Amino acid sequence: ELFRCLAICHTVLPEGDESPEKIVYQAASPDEAALVTAAKNFGFFFYSCMLSCFSVTESTGKVTSLVRKGAKKITLSIGDGANDVSMIQAAHVGIGISGMEGMQAVMASDFAIAQFRFLTDLLLVHGRWSYLRICKVVMYFFYKNLTFTLTQFWFTFRTGFSGQRFYDDWFQSLYNVFFTALPVIVLGLFEKDVSASLSKRYPELYREGIRNSFFKWRVVAVWATSAVYQSLVCYLFVTTSSFGAINSSGKIFGLWDVSTLVFTCLVIAVNVRILLMSNSITRWHYITVGGSILAWLVFAFVYCGITTSRDRNENVYFVIYVLMSTFYFYFTLLLVPAVSLLGDFIYQGVERWFFPYDYQIVQEIHRHESDATKADHLEIENELTPQEARSYAISQLPRELSKHTGFAFDSPGYESFFASQLGVYAPQKAWDVARRASMRSRPKVPKK
Amino acid sequence: MPSNTASSSSAPAGSADSSASRTKSKRPKYSKFTQQELPACKPILTPGWVILTFLVISVIFIPLGVVSLFASQDVVEIVDRYDNDCVPTPARANKVAYIQGVSDKSCNRTLVVPKKMKQPIYVYYQLENFYQNHRRYVKSRSDSQLRSVKDENQIDACKPEDDVNGRPIVPCGLIAWSLFNDTYALSKNNQPLTVNKRGIAWKSDREHKFGKNVFPKNFQEGNITGGGRLDANKSLSEQEDLIVWMRTAALPTFRKLYGKIESDLEKGDTIHVTLLNNYNTYSFDGKKKLVLSTTSWLGGKNDFLGIAYLTVGGICFFLALVFTIMYLVKPRRLGDPTYLSWNRVPGGGR
Repeated sequence: ELFRCLAICHTVLPEGDESPEKIVYQAASPDEAALVTAAKNFGFFFYSCMLSCFSVTESTGKVTSLVRKGAKKITLSIGDGANDVSMIQAAHVGIGISGMEGMQAVMASDFAIAQFRFLTDLLLVHGRWSYLRICKVVMYFFYKNLTFTLTQFWFTFRTGFSGQRFYDDWFQSLYNVFFTALPVIVLGLFEKDVSASLSKRYPELYREGIRNSFFKWRVVAVWATSAVYQSLVCYLFVTTSSFGAINSSGKIFGLWDVSTLVFTCLVIAVNVRILLMSNSITRWHYITVGGSILAWLVFAFVYCGITTSRDRNENVYFVIYVLMSTFYFYFTLLLVPAVSLLGDFIYQGVERWFFPYDYQIVQEIHRHESDATKADHLEIENELTPQEARSYAISQLPRELSKHTGFAFDSPGYESFFASQLGVYAPQKAWDVARRASMRSRPKVPKK
Repeated sequence: MPSNTASSSSAPAGSADSSASRTKSKRPKYSKFTQQELPACKPILTPGWVILTFLVISVIFIPLGVVSLFASQDVVEIVDRYDNDCVPTPARANKVAYIQGVSDKSCNRTLVVPKKMKQPIYVYYQLENFYQNHRRYVKSRSDSQLRSVKDENQIDACKPEDDVNGRPIVPCGLIAWSLFNDTYALSKNNQPLTVNKRGIAWKSDREHKFGKNVFPKNFQEGNITGGGRLDANKSLSEQEDLIVWMRTAALPTFRKLYGKIESDLEKGDTIHVTLLNNYNTYSFDGKKKLVLSTTSWLGGKNDFLGIAYLTVGGICFFLALVFTIMYLVKPRRLGDPTYLSWNRVPGGGR
């Protein structure tokens, strides 16, 4: 909590060189300087916080560059006016607030928000989720292609290294386009490890991103091992068990029958893996996973059912129907994906039990609570209570053009901001209301 | 007062810059999809679920494994390798020369039936170290030529077995050219056993891939004979040996259906096989085997499925036990905040 407050400090100009120990802070208000230095002693360094400077135009940009290059940390700057543009551009992440001072900041920024208080959401909720999603999507992409390609690789050992393809061309081409594409998109859109309110309640979860815990080499190695294991299972189980007659009529499978069976097992295993790796499974997950597998089957039915004069010589005419006419097909279809995913399942179970991530503990702590977010939105249509009506009226008073008053804790804007974060009602300060009411007669200063 | 949610919700009462104005709120329209609040299932892989899943898997897989293994164990199979023994002793020093020569290649083999075999009994030939899945081999065919007479000249992919003196070979290509041509004549107690050679190919091949009007032409008329010859009076869709051979195998060790015997064989029966050892596997160290096998609903003798199911079911059961023991010995309370990294080590964690 304390650090979150500190994170919104104003006009703190760090001066100094590369080593974090030696930074000396200069601040316009002594309160801030003290707090920032104290925070430093806790190990919470101020580079990864916001420098919100409303003072001289160029210096804010220079300060940001100094921090960015000198301290080699990720910097984020936030501002709402045209004077903040250089600072926004100099930082790694620039956030513009759209509103009173025009859209210049927004146009120069990487992210734009409507109100300053949305910054918490941006960082702790969406930023964190975004990191998680990108890691998962990237890892999944490499995994599914590695699994697919390795099955062909194992096959080359048995073709005299002549380079014969294992799968039919169209199956291969459409693997990434149709049969495994949609579920990972849904994963990237909807994945969340903990809900939004919990993300804000446990801001320490943000550390997982800072520590890069989801994209270390160790994680990559685990996924790669899983891909190797699954490709071996899919390839070996099918090729070993399809030797000899495969139904009661004594007939034998050819190359394309075996490869189509491996492909089917692969598509199923790789798609169901999405369900294993998702923390929150919506109906879109089911639709896309089931839909991808269904799309593969429908495609196989159509593709294997027609012959055209333009067919190539190694065609797979009728292969899927031949496969589906044997009991062996269904037995294999149950066994192979289950064994493929069993390895990952065991790994996840052991990992969650003995080496849990922080977000997993948070999930468990709150596992019995349901999402209570829907109640918040009902207030749209509600009548304003007298309190709300009064505060609405006050908010209609002309505001300061610049929110900077140089006071960290005594200014009205901050107090009410923190109050709203904590869900506590903070009354308007009388002197502030009086000050603003007296501004009524002044004509509005044109925006910069 | 509710805390802020992921959406840009209207401000709780009391904050200075409320946008709760009903007339000019810039708040975007709420929808569960865009606000990412779709109802979701949030599975937590607790130890209970892990153990339950393992038990369910073992309960399903072990019976399936038993069923598959029984089916495979019911199958009776006789395998007899004959390529070395069928070369007469004086010729064994140079088998390639023998097989390419014109001497009489017939050979007599004896098989003993180990268990009662119920009809139909399938006769296969098994080849080893024969790479039907080699890239140049697999593409050396012309499916359009096989299907219809008018495409007779589509022989581009078939080099070098595409034409003879300018006349197209039907069927062209290396696959057809290397047709297996050992023959087997079986008899039991001096009574010949008829081997039914119809219905050995997949129906889809017979009816759609190989045309009824296409007849072999100029086949095996080149300088090098690669395999068997074809009766020029039978259309391709009736040449089931060719059809079976042309369904290229996946691995270098494969078997292909030769025919089926439609009478029972009793335990202890002696089967005499008079085979013609025509096919040259000696130049590449290949092996030839004759196989007699019954089938079950799951196919031939292949214990792999049964053993795999049983092994996986067994492993899952064992893991369920191991996890239960670990859970009892070293429990971790679910949702124990002491495991949070900031509670365990100050500033530390993964």
